Amino acid sequence: MTSQEESMISSFSPSLWALARKRLARDAIGLLSLLVVVFFILMSLGSYFGFLAKNWDQEVAINYAPPTWLATNQESVSALQAPIPPRSQIDLYGQTDPLAPLLDELEAHNPQDINSPPDQQKVNHLVFGADKWGRSVILKTIKGSETSILVGLVAALVATAIGTVLGALSGYFGGWVDDFLNWFYNVFTAIPYLLLIFAIAAVLNQKGVSTIILILGLTGWTGVYRLIRAEYLKHRHREYVLAAKAMGASHYRRMFIHILPNTLHVILVQLSINVVGFIKSEVILSFLGFGVPVEVVSWGSMLNEAQNELVLGIWWQLVAAGVAMALLVTAFSVLTDALRDALDPKVVA
Amino acid sequence: MINHLRQLVISSSVLFAVLVTVYPAHSAPLKVLHLSLSAAETGFDPVMTSDLNTAAIEEQLFEPLLTYDYLARPVKLIPRLAAQMPVISDQGKTWLFTLKKGVYFSPDPVFKGKLREVTAQDVVYTIMRFMDPKNRSPYKFLVDHKILGLNALADQARQTGHFNYNAKVEGLEVVGPYQLKIRLTGTDYNFGHAMAQPMFGIVAREVIEAYQGDTASHPVGTGPYMIGQWIRSASINLVKNPNYRDERWHFTSQDPQDQKIVQAMTGKRIPQIDQVDIQIVEEAQSAYLSFLKGELDVFGVPGQFAPNVLSGTELKPKLQQQGIQLQRLVDPAIAYYFINIEDPQLGGMALSRIALRRAILMSLNDEEMIRVIYKGQAFREAFPIPQGVEGHDANYQSLIHYNPQEANDLLDKMGYKKAKDGYRRQIDGGPLYVKYTTTLTSQDRDLEEIMKKSLDRIGIRFVSEKLKFPEIIRAERQCRVAMRLSAWIADYPDGDNFMQLWYGPHTHENNASCFQDAKWDKLYEKTLALPNSPERDQLYRQLARLLEINGVTKVSTSHIRNVLIQPWVVGYKAHPILPSTWAYIDLIPEGERH
Repeated sequence: MTSQEESMISSFSPSLWALARKRLARDAIGLLSLLVVVFFILMSLGSYFGFLAKNWDQEVAINYAPPTWLATNQESVSALQAPIPPRSQIDLYGQTDPLAPLLDELEAHNPQDINSPPDQQKVNHLVFGADKWGRSVILKTIKGSETSILVGLVAALVATAIGTVLGALSGYFGGWVDDFLNWFYNVFTAIPYLLLIFAIAAVLNQKGVSTIILILGLTGWTGVYRLIRAEYLKHRHREYVLAAKAMGASHYRRMFIHILPNTLHVILVQLSINVVGFIKSEVILSFLGFGVPVEVVSWGSMLNEAQNELVLGIWWQLVAAGVAMALLVTAFSVLTDALRDALDPKVVA
Repeated sequence: MINHLRQLVISSSVLFAVLVTVYPAHSAPLKVLHLSLSAAETGFDPVMTSDLNTAAIEEQLFEPLLTYDYLARPVKLIPRLAAQMPVISDQGKTWLFTLKKGVYFSPDPVFKGKLREVTAQDVVYTIMRFMDPKNRSPYKFLVDHKILGLNALADQARQTGHFNYNAKVEGLEVVGPYQLKIRLTGTDYNFGHAMAQPMFGIVAREVIEAYQGDTASHPVGTGPYMIGQWIRSASINLVKNPNYRDERWHFTSQDPQDQKIVQAMTGKRIPQIDQVDIQIVEEAQSAYLSFLKGELDVFGVPGQFAPNVLSGTELKPKLQQQGIQLQRLVDPAIAYYFINIEDPQLGGMALSRIALRRAILMSLNDEEMIRVIYKGQAFREAFPIPQGVEGHDANYQSLIHYNPQEANDLLDKMGYKKAKDGYRRQIDGGPLYVKYTTTLTSQDRDLEEIMKKSLDRIGIRFVSEKLKFPEIIRAERQCRVAMRLSAWIADYPDGDNFMQLWYGPHTHENNASCFQDAKWDKLYEKTLALPNSPERDQLYRQLARLLEINGVTKVSTSHIRNVLIQPWVVGYKAHPILPSTWAYIDLIPEGERH
């Protein structure tokens, strides 16, 4: 009798999400990693909206200024320019310059046009060092987080969404739908990964962050598809699904309201693996020339620069981008692990 | 499925066995020279070649009539396929070449197993090919309008669509089987340099005709090497040409530093090295690390690694202890920015477009490039003819200086207004951007960054185009490259070799800026009739100035070549002009190194 009472009480239990929140709150490491991830996302949002690292491309230091945590001293650096000789002194060898009257007029109005710019004051040490143009590495890392996190998250969301929907359809309906999607999956995975990337890049035929997201999203769904399909195959004949069917739940409802939460732990783990993988893939794409364009900075492009600098003993750009990436990737993995535990309905609260 | 797989494994192992047996075992240890090239080859038909990497390989596959002495500096012409130096008469208008006897082409199925000797008729055929409109030769300029009667033949071919190789040309008279008299349209003492280019390596007519349409994959020449294995854009293996004549190493030099080379090499049969293994390594870092591991034998250090191997102008002590040698010389080459005059965005000769191009060129800071990217292994060179080449002017002052402030004022004045996004538009409000072409390597990403920075200074939008090097060359020939930092290294040490880069009729060949200006072309044609003289130098200065005035080109830098040589390489001396000298050096085989 008591057991019946208990089940009566538990039917008034809080929802899955409330339970998950409770479980997560008890997981200290999970919370910490959540904080780290939120911090990174806030940082990249901050840089996206211009609150942070707005002046990252300003050349404040000398080239490859080494990192220091002590006071930095200013150093006068010449503007790297030979003095401009007055145009009247340049021998035209009998030729006429059609622009000469115009330039004369300009120079009469703006006498500073013919003076070399004054020497610039640049620091010779910088917290976290400077890159080859004298830009602050730490600001560059913050700016780079914007691209990397955007690429990693959005591409992973795209890939996981495609994989989940296709996997759900395939596993739930079976039959010819399953056959067709399996065939599609097989064809897709039969093509070597790099060739596929090249093919999609050739079809999209433009470079930019959105192209990278599409490339990674459209090629990365296969693993998710396989796992989700297996989950749906397992779940579709379970009693709770049959019960839902008996109550008249539609296909859509059974697939996405009843079964999906039970596969969420798989999806989340896959999502985290994909985020981590895609942040790294962006580096590879940069290497193949499909990476971010030259005006965009990302951790991938920083690492790409760092490989040549490292030979010269300049390690700070590698460390900055590497540490940022490692931190985010680790935090993301731990967080999804914690989420998995929190969301698994089979784990007793 | 599994059966298929097994079949595949069996057939591929059979293939492998066949491949192995094709190469007979050598009794003596094989001497293999390992090298890397920084860009892919463009195909081995000499008449169509224009890049240095391909020319370096062709220098070994084909042989022109003349060549440059390996040791003499300044460089000196010597005979190669010719038996002796040509007899020049009639004030440099008539050149009588006598060929060596017993020179045979490398084996090829076309010869049906017979030896095929080189005769004067082959030289005539080789020269004629440059004028065949079908070949679109980038090196046509070396013979164009120079040989009596040859241009008439080309004109005829343009009309009929067929080049008559059987025609008798007045300027190319076969005197005997081994003698050829070349008559020029005017005095030209540089003609010998033309006949020393690897592109003028002698080819056999029956081979070219048998492989019509695919000549670039079937190089058959008389050189010391021939192609062994070739994986396109990846690796090229050269093996000894079995038909190569008995040629001995005989160079002499007064320079005390060369005496060791002379002692080690004199009297040895050319070539000493059995195979040359060339890998295409586009990333300089990979090549550099391979060299340090001893996987490459000779390596030209890219500027970015100079701080690693040099302290000042000396080799780092650590490398010296390993026995590695350093050779330094100023490359007879220029790096220059050009802007395509046919480009819809930047081209044209209207004053507003000239001002636009001048402003773009004024935004470029070469000093920064030299210090940051080239690590001091380059210097500012404003004249289109570099150091070490006849016609160079060390005192030439550039008209275009780094001056973004004035460039901005100039663009404002001309009416290139900035839109809301901070970038300028065309005067009529249309889109304005500079499409800048580079290769995919990380070095070229640096060039892109410099360009992006420069254009941002004057508020012009930057658009990047990344192509493989052979594709860039193709695009340049079609006048599709809007702007690029290009480089040209002397084929021969005369200013004409550089000035021809902007000659109007060379559009679709070497004139990548597609600059076609009647006044400029006329001045240039005047220089052709003059020997190396102060008068010609003055014309060159005018030509250089006109290029700047019209905003076609800004010559940017000249580079210092730092060549590293492994201790087991014998007899190497860096040559400023010859693209490769592999047949003249020797190696201590791998087993005998310590």
